[in-house]
Amino acid sequence: MIYFLLLANKQGKIRLSKWYQNFTKKQKTKLQKEVVSLCLSRSQRSCNFIEWNDYKIIYRRYASLYFMICCDTEDNELIGLEIIHHFVEILDKYFGSVCELDIIFNFQKAYNVLDEVIIDGKLQDSSKKSILRSVGTQDFLILNAPETGTLNL
Amino acid sequence: MSIKLHDLITKVRESSTTSGVREIISEECVQIRNAFRKEDTKNRPRNISKLIYIDFLGFPTDFGQLECLKLIAHPSYVCKRIGYLGLSVLLTENEEVLFMSTNIIRTDLASENKFIVSLALSSLGNIGSVEMLRDLAPEVEKLLKSQTAYIRKKAALAAIRTIRFVPETVDRFVGRVKSLLSDKNHGVVLGGIQLLVEILKIEPKTISEFRKLVPGLLRMLKSLVDAGYAPEYDFEGVTDPFLQVHILKLLRILGQDSKKYSNQMIDLLTQVGTSSGMNKNVENCILYESVSTILTIESPNRLRVTAINTLSKFLTGKDNNMKYVALNTLLKGVNKDSKSLKRHRKVIVRCLRDKDISIRRRALDLVFGIMNKKNVKELTQELLDCLPKAEHDFRFDITAKVCTAIEKFSPDDQWQIDTLVQVLTIGGQYIRDDVIAIMTHVTGRNQELQYYASKKLYNSLLDDRYRNQKFIQVAAWVIGEFGDILLKKSIEENEPIDPSQIIDLCQIIITSSRNDDLTKYFILNTLIKLSTRIEGYDETIQEIIKPFMKHVNIEIQQRACEYFRLFEDKELLVFSFDRIPVKDENLETQKIEEIEENSNQNSNTNTKVQENSNNQLSPNNSNNQNKKKQEENELNLMGSNINISQNQTQESSSIENLLQLDFSNNNNQNVNKQTTNTQNQQSNQSTEDFLSDIFGTNNNPNRSVNNTQNIQNNNTQNVMDILGTGKGNGTGMGRGNGIGMGLGNGTGMGRGNGTGMGRGNGTGMGRGNGTGMGRGNVNTQKKNPSAIIYNQDGLKIQMNFKLVSVNGTPAAMIQSTFTNSTQTQMTNLLFQVAVPKHLQVQMAPPSSKIIPPNNNGKVTQTFRIIKKQNIKTKLTMMTRIQYKINGMPISKQQEVKNLPLIF
Repeated sequence: MIYFLLLANKQGKIRLSKWYQNFTKKQKTKLQKEVVSLCLSRSQRSCNFIEWNDYKIIYRRYASLYFMICCDTEDNELIGLEIIHHFVEILDKYFGSVCELDIIFNFQKAYNVLDEVIIDGKLQDSSKKSILRSVGTQDFLILNAPETGTLNL
Repeated sequence: MSIKLHDLITKVRESSTTSGVREIISEECVQIRNAFRKEDTKNRPRNISKLIYIDFLGFPTDFGQLECLKLIAHPSYVCKRIGYLGLSVLLTENEEVLFMSTNIIRTDLASENKFIVSLALSSLGNIGSVEMLRDLAPEVEKLLKSQTAYIRKKAALAAIRTIRFVPETVDRFVGRVKSLLSDKNHGVVLGGIQLLVEILKIEPKTISEFRKLVPGLLRMLKSLVDAGYAPEYDFEGVTDPFLQVHILKLLRILGQDSKKYSNQMIDLLTQVGTSSGMNKNVENCILYESVSTILTIESPNRLRVTAINTLSKFLTGKDNNMKYVALNTLLKGVNKDSKSLKRHRKVIVRCLRDKDISIRRRALDLVFGIMNKKNVKELTQELLDCLPKAEHDFRFDITAKVCTAIEKFSPDDQWQIDTLVQVLTIGGQYIRDDVIAIMTHVTGRNQELQYYASKKLYNSLLDDRYRNQKFIQVAAWVIGEFGDILLKKSIEENEPIDPSQIIDLCQIIITSSRNDDLTKYFILNTLIKLSTRIEGYDETIQEIIKPFMKHVNIEIQQRACEYFRLFEDKELLVFSFDRIPVKDENLETQKIEEIEENSNQNSNTNTKVQENSNNQLSPNNSNNQNKKKQEENELNLMGSNINISQNQTQESSSIENLLQLDFSNNNNQNVNKQTTNTQNQQSNQSTEDFLSDIFGTNNNPNRSVNNTQNIQNNNTQNVMDILGTGKGNGTGMGRGNGIGMGLGNGTGMGRGNGTGMGRGNGTGMGRGNGTGMGRGNVNTQKKNPSAIIYNQDGLKIQMNFKLVSVNGTPAAMIQSTFTNSTQTQMTNLLFQVAVPKHLQVQMAPPSSKIIPPNNNGKVTQTFRIIKKQNIKTKLTMMTRIQYKINGMPISKQQEVKNLPLIF
C-alpha cells in the first residue's frame, strides 16, 4: 500500500502531496523534507528505490518533476513505478502535455485526478480511458452547473 | 475585494522574498477571515481554494475548517468538490471536526448523482477516522452492490480502509468479495482483490474458504496472459499488468502452505515465467511478481530453479532496478535453494561494490544470507574489503554483519580472533558495542586463545597506540584479563614481555588526551586487574591511579578512589578481580530459557523493590529479605539486589536522595525494557551490586562481607550471562561511598568484578547538587499515562501504561496495581483481561493473591498487549475481577474504554 505520494520539482519545492496515513502537520513537513532530499541526492544511474526506515520510497523523475511514493517494503517495486507512470500519463493526457505550471495553477484538478487513480493508497483503476472519461464528465458537470458563473475561482 | 485564486498564485510567485510572501498571505488571510465572518457564501468556494493553496505554502489555516463542512453540506456538486478537497487537505489532524462531517457524508453516499457518491467515498477512503468508518460501514457495504461499476470500485477501496481501521467490521465484507471478483470491470476486480488481501490479513482463518476461488483467479489470469490487443487496458502490448500483478500476489497468499492449491497454479506460473519478454518494465513487473509467488508457494524444484534463473538474468542485466529487485527476491529463495544460488555468488559479491547504496544494502543482506561455515572466510573478507570505501551509515551495517558472522559461522577459533582484530582495526569506530562480549565469548574457552588474542592485541597496540577507541578498549580488556597468561606464555616462547612495558603502555594511554573517558575506565580496570595478576607492581599502579582520584570526570574519579582503597585489602582485591569463569554453553542456554520464563515474575519483584525503598525499610530488613528471595529464586536477584544499593543511598546524606529519584525512574524503565533485555539487565545489575557490596566494606566490613558472600554464588552464574550476551542496557544505581561522593549512572559498565564490559547507553546521572548529566544517549522519559479502571467495594485498580516494542512490534506494557481499602483482606484474587482480535495479551502472575486490608500494601500484576496487526485505535479491553472477601466469592466483569493510550 502507498502511505503517501509526493510531487516535487528539482529544487525540492513540493507541488503536490497526498497522505493516506494520519500524520500531523509537523510530521508531514519533516517527512517531506527527508524524502525529497533523499530522492534529489540520488544520481541518475541509481535504481529508483530507496530503503527508508521501515518503508521503501519509489521515485521517478519526469523532466524537472520528481514523483515519489512511500510503500511497504514487501510491495512490488516495479509495479510501484508503473503506478507512478500510470498517474503521469493520465495527467499528461488530461492537461495535454503536463508541465509544472499546470500543476501549480490547477492543483485542485490534479488532486481530483489523483482521487480517481488512487484511494487509500490503493490503485483504483487500470484503465486510463475510463479514468479520463469520468474526470471529463465531472469537469463538464462543473462547466454547466448554474453556480459556476458566480463561482469564478 | 476578493481576488481570484489564479491571481493569488501569480502574486505569490512573483514575490521574490519569503517575507514578501508572508505579507501577501497574511493580508489574504485577513480578507478570508472577514469573508467567513460575514457568511459570504458566494466567495466561499474561492476562499477555501485559496486556503488550500495557503496551507500548501505552510501557513496556518485552522480557521477554515468549519467552512469546509459548510461547503460539503451545500447541495451543488461544484461546491461539494471543493469542500471535500478542503476536508482532505485542511482537516486531517482535527478528528473532532472531521467527525462532524459524518452525517453529511452519509447523505452524500445516498445521493443519486454518482459523482457526489464518489466524492463522499473517496474522502471516506482517504481520510476516514475510526468513528466515521464504524458509523458508515453499512452504507459502504450497500454501495458494494451498486449498479454502477464506478461506485463499486470506490466502495471496495473504502471498505479496505474500514476494515483496516475497524477490524470488527470485517464480517460485513467477507461475503461480498466473491461477487466483486467476478465483476466484469477491471477496476472493481482490482478493488475486490485488494479487499480480499486485507481481509486475509485481519481474519486469516477465512483462507480455506477463499482458496476455493483459486481456479477462477487462474482463469482470469490466463485470459489476461493470452489476451491479444485490448485497447482499454493495453500497456505497451501487455494487457492490464496491474491486474495481473494483483492476481499473482493473491495467488501467492492463497497458495502458501497448501500443496493442493499450489499444484493448481504451477502450469500457469510456468507459462507466465516463460512466455513474457524481459525488455519492458511492465513485463518485468509481472515476471518479478510471478517469481515471488513461485518462491513462496509449494512449488516443485524445477520451477524454483527457473525462478532463480530469471532473477539471475535480472541480476546480470544493466538495469539497476532489476538488480535491486533480484537481490531483494533472491534473499527469499535463500533457505531452500542455496545450491542454485551458489552459482551467482560472484555477481552478488560484485554488487557489494555497486555505486548505489540501495543495491549495496540488498547485496549485504544477501551475502549474509548465503553465508555458511564453508564460505564464511571468503565472504567475510569481501565484506571487510569494502568496509573502508563504504559510507558512514553503511559501515555500521557491515561491521554488524561481520560480528554476527564471527559469532555464528566461525570455522575455527583463531580465525575468529584474527577477524575480530581485523574488523576492530579498520572499522572499530563503527562497530557495535557488544564486541567485547564476543571477545570474551571467543577467548573464554582455552588458554592458547587467550594468549594468542592478548599477544596479538598487545603487539598491535604497541605498534600504534593511536588506534580507535573501541580497539583500545577491547585490547585493554583482554590484556587486563589475561595479563598473567600473556607474560607466562611469552616466557615459554622465549619472547618475554616485560610487565613494566605493559604498565607503561597503560599509563601512556590513560594520560593521553586523545582517548575518551570510556577508554580510561577500561584502562583503570586493566591496571587494577594487572595488579592482581602480576606480582610486584602494586606501587607503580597506585602511582598511576592516584592522580585520577581528582579527575574531572566523576566516574573516573570514583573508580580511581575505589580501586585505590581496595589496595588496602589485597585479599578482597584479588577476589574481586578474579578471572571471569569459563562459559558453559549448555548452562547458558538453559539459563536463558529460565530467564525468559521468569522475566515477568522479575518485573514484579522489581516493582516491589520500588515500594520498599519508598517505605524506607531498614537495611537489615532488606538484607534478610534479600537472602530469602535469593533462596526462593535465584533469578530474582536483580530485584532484591537493588534493595541494597538503594538503602545504602538512604544511609548517606540527603543529597543522595536526589539520586534516588533518578534511580526509581530508571527502575521503572527497566521493568518495561525487561521483556526485551531481561538477561542483560540482570547481569548488569548483579555486576553493579556486586561492587556496591564491595564498597560497603569500607563503611561496615562485617555486614558487607556477608553480602558479598551471599551474592557470590549467584553472581558467578550471572557473570556467565554477561559472557554470552553482554548487550546490557544500563541501569541506575546510587550509593554514598564514604569519601563524600554520591553518584549514580546508568552506564551499565561492569565495574570491578573483572568483566569490565557493557556500554554507555546512559540514563540520567544525578549528582549531589542535583544537576543532571548523562552519557551516551540520554533517555528522555515520556510521562507514562495511568488510569483508575476499577474502584468499587473498596477495591481499586490502577493501571500504568507504557509503550514499548517487542521484537519490533509495538506493545503496551501495563502495570496494574490493586489496593484494598476495606477492613478485611481480599483473597484468591484473579484478574483477567481480554482484548480485541488485532491485539494479543500476555499476563504475568500477580505479585500475590492476597490484597492486604486498609490500603496496607498493594498487589501488582504486569501484562503486556502486543499488536498483531497495525491498526491504530484507542485501547479497549474487557476485564474480569474475581476475589474472595470474608470467604464470599465476588466476580465482576467490565469493559474498559477511554484508556489514555492510543495504540
